Amino acid sequence: MKINPLTIKKFRRFKSIKRGYYSFIIFLMMILASLFAEMLVNSRALMVRYDGNYYFPTYGNIIPGTTFDLDYDYETNYRQLAGEFEKESSGNYVLMPPVPFNAYENDLKDDQFPPFPPSIKERHYLGTDAVGRDIVARLVYGFRIAIFFSLALLLANYTIGVSIGSAMGYWGGRFDLFFQRIIEIWSNVPFLYVIIIISSIMVPNFFMLILIMAFFGWIGITWTMRTVTYKEREREYVLAAKALGASNMRIIFKHIIPNTIAIIVTFAPFAVSGGVVALTSLDYLGFGLPPPTPSWGELLQQGWTHLDAWWISGSVIAAMIITLITVTFIGEAVREAFDPKKHTVYE
Amino acid sequence: MNKHMGKSSATKTQRHKKGRIMIKAYKFWLRGSLTMLLVFSVPVAAWAAPELPADIEWLTNDTDPVYASPEAKKGGTFRDSLLSFPATFRSVGPDSNNSFARVMQSNQLGLIGIHPNTENIIPELATHWAFGKDKKTMYFKLNEKARWSDGKPVTALDFAYTIEFMRSEFIVAPFYNDYYTREIDRIIVYDDYTLAVVGTKAKPDLHLHLNIGPKPRHFFGKLDKGFVRKFNWKIEPNTGPYRISDFKKGKSIKLERKKDWWAKDLRYFKNRFNVDRVIFKVVRDFNLMWEHFKKAQQDVFRITFPDYWHVKSKTAVIENGYVHRIWFFNDTQQPASGMWLNLDREIFKDKNVRYAFAHAMNVQKVIEKVLRNDYFRLEQHYVGYGRYSNNSIKARRFDLTKVDDYMKKSGWKRGSDGIWAKNGMRFSVEVTYGFEGHTPRLVVLKEEAKKAGIELRLQKLDSAASFKKFLEKKHDVAWMGWSTGMRPAFWQHYHSANAHKPQTNNISNTDDAELDKMIDAFRNSLDEAERIDLSLKIQAKIHETGAFVPTFMVPYLRQAYWRWWRLPKIPGTKNSDDLFDPFDPSIGGMFWYDKNLHEETLAAKKKKKKLPPVTIIEETYKMKFLENSKFSTVNS
Repeated sequence: MKINPLTIKKFRRFKSIKRGYYSFIIFLMMILASLFAEMLVNSRALMVRYDGNYYFPTYGNIIPGTTFDLDYDYETNYRQLAGEFEKESSGNYVLMPPVPFNAYENDLKDDQFPPFPPSIKERHYLGTDAVGRDIVARLVYGFRIAIFFSLALLLANYTIGVSIGSAMGYWGGRFDLFFQRIIEIWSNVPFLYVIIIISSIMVPNFFMLILIMAFFGWIGITWTMRTVTYKEREREYVLAAKALGASNMRIIFKHIIPNTIAIIVTFAPFAVSGGVVALTSLDYLGFGLPPPTPSWGELLQQGWTHLDAWWISGSVIAAMIITLITVTFIGEAVREAFDPKKHTVYE
Repeated sequence: MNKHMGKSSATKTQRHKKGRIMIKAYKFWLRGSLTMLLVFSVPVAAWAAPELPADIEWLTNDTDPVYASPEAKKGGTFRDSLLSFPATFRSVGPDSNNSFARVMQSNQLGLIGIHPNTENIIPELATHWAFGKDKKTMYFKLNEKARWSDGKPVTALDFAYTIEFMRSEFIVAPFYNDYYTREIDRIIVYDDYTLAVVGTKAKPDLHLHLNIGPKPRHFFGKLDKGFVRKFNWKIEPNTGPYRISDFKKGKSIKLERKKDWWAKDLRYFKNRFNVDRVIFKVVRDFNLMWEHFKKAQQDVFRITFPDYWHVKSKTAVIENGYVHRIWFFNDTQQPASGMWLNLDREIFKDKNVRYAFAHAMNVQKVIEKVLRNDYFRLEQHYVGYGRYSNNSIKARRFDLTKVDDYMKKSGWKRGSDGIWAKNGMRFSVEVTYGFEGHTPRLVVLKEEAKKAGIELRLQKLDSAASFKKFLEKKHDVAWMGWSTGMRPAFWQHYHSANAHKPQTNNISNTDDAELDKMIDAFRNSLDEAERIDLSLKIQAKIHETGAFVPTFMVPYLRQAYWRWWRLPKIPGTKNSDDLFDPFDPSIGGMFWYDKNLHEETLAAKKKKKKLPPVTIIEETYKMKFLENSKFSTVNS
């Protein structure tokens, strides 16, 4: 595929904006790490050597305790197993991930009540939440859900919003007027209330929640796309395409949208952070994904009810700040890189 | 502590209203029967020549143990607070069902009371009572000394007036209109101090239905359209120990003890109702009340909630011993909280699977690790109903071997994900609940159930929505609690007449011909011994059905009080829900003021002298089978 020299130039320019570029790398690494979270933060061992056999429990089916000659049928408790192997010192060993907890299990103690403060010895590096679940695990898995939620939401919103927006701009006239009114009515529906009502009668799952949010979220980008398309359709290349007999569809999707990509791309990072914030706030209010899904909003809620357990609110707020700042820096850099006026200076 | 989990506003309202009379007939009763007075409009015929049946046997009760302390002294001012000022002092009609109503009701005695420990009938306004042969009439002899607070004697005509009053459309109280029509047929007045209350049908536990209170005819007179407005702030004469002496709208209400109260020397009232004055101040915030309490502007504070008992009571006034704490175990009907399996779901049609499910719920771990050992295991649906409770039933405990046995017996095998599976069906069920505060309990149950090969999918709904879902029987497993009544209510929860259809309380869709037969027999029987026997058998059968997995109960109350308030050696009764209730005819007014201790405490406070901190744990009435259940070992 041949890349447009203009695009290459934009990439170079993006790369030259160090703050945004490094944020981008950090952000990518975060996503990548979260994709392999099972190998970093998990109660399942990475590898078990037992009587000469090797087991890799991370992915796939559970390995019941009986496999390792333990007296139970349910999933092996690898942390316990590791301890026992150590005592035996018979060449068997268990290799645990750096954080040996999953996001759901309750690590509870006798005579003490969660939340437990951070402890390196217990390997709860950020402590536990109010029911004894590891906060690192909740944060990492919560991040994965939030970020993919937000990306999926972005895709859905932009697919609908960009298509409708360009169509409005391209055809103009009555079609435009009609959709303008529709959008005006639509945007007056109190979005938050609708979500609250819906999720109080049925618990939305991941995709359902995206669907509901996209239902109201596509509006934002339409106005921008409509205006840009109005401008673009008067340009000569559109006239030329028309003269060559290209269909409206083709003109919109092959000619106009690629020429407005700068605008779309500029808005995208901010929409991503918007999506994360939206999901977090819904979870905070208890109307998001059903418990016990790991979620930042739920952690935030716990932090609020257990204000004295500073590590809960502390970690989730820090995590949010890092994520949102990187995304915002990326957005800023993208905007600058795609800005046709080269010498814009941000103060 | 939220005793009734997931109870929707729908039940609350219902309980509120009916609670006064029917469902909680008993409590109502204990509270002094405010509003129950009758008269006749229909029964004029009965006037003509009423004659007492010759063959009735007059009963009284002067042998049950007294529970007040002979050491009690009169005196002192007791200060308490209200979250809001009542919207009216009227006992019936719009806005009368407010939180202050209990105070008003407690100061209106009924014909008879219930002894809070023995649960036998004891005298209140009546000295003697008798049961009619028709099983729907009760006869009463009034105490001739009984007086209204304005000095007028209480006579049988005041009871007759109750019916006229309660059936009147002018009081704007459809519930009472209906109750006094549907439940009570008429009053027969034999002379000034003898009367009969006739119910509409023969019933077991007649005394729980026919205990009414008088209404002062001389005060209300002929009712008319203006009733609601006219009596908004009028103080109705009462028969109880206190009456309102002063109030400032929106701010405070003061009640004064009647110095020569007609009932003060009655056996069960002696040495009770000791404080001279009770002052309620309006404090519109719960946290603020706590602050008031710590400043001794309020004498008692309820600290049943774990965070008050364990965390917030680590405060100077308690640690310095100026304020004492008491943890009082009572023995009263427990709300049925737990998990209700929907037997119409394919998976729960197999009894073995239901048993396995019960054995997979690690309720004990939740109690120990999440609830700070503050809650107790509820053993079955009907705990605390006295002789009607089958205390030999034990809830199924967390036990992985039993889960295995039951599942294998029904031909299930563990899938590769560790969850039981059979014929393409996975043992994965949805648990619906309506209260965010219960999430921590459920996530622990969920993780533990996974070990047993059962997947719980948690579904948190808004509490009204979850209750709706249960009533429509659309749940797999409902996480909720039912409130209590005086006697076990089997029919509404377990009779097949209420199964497989929406808007009934049989949310497990229990449908068992044998159980139906026993429940019908229970409902139709008028013989107490037989009813008790059936009640125990029905409970055993319900346990055997396995449709309900009981979870928690809170069979106690906890209060903090300034140390100059004294309590009897046994500070409460089996049925006490408040040790410092100043008025309740059954359980109230047992505490008293100690002037010396008051002065001593103030002096110590001034000199910043520490006194020994006191925490009393009072277990006289603790349910016998609790001892073991709390500390039984967990299998995890």
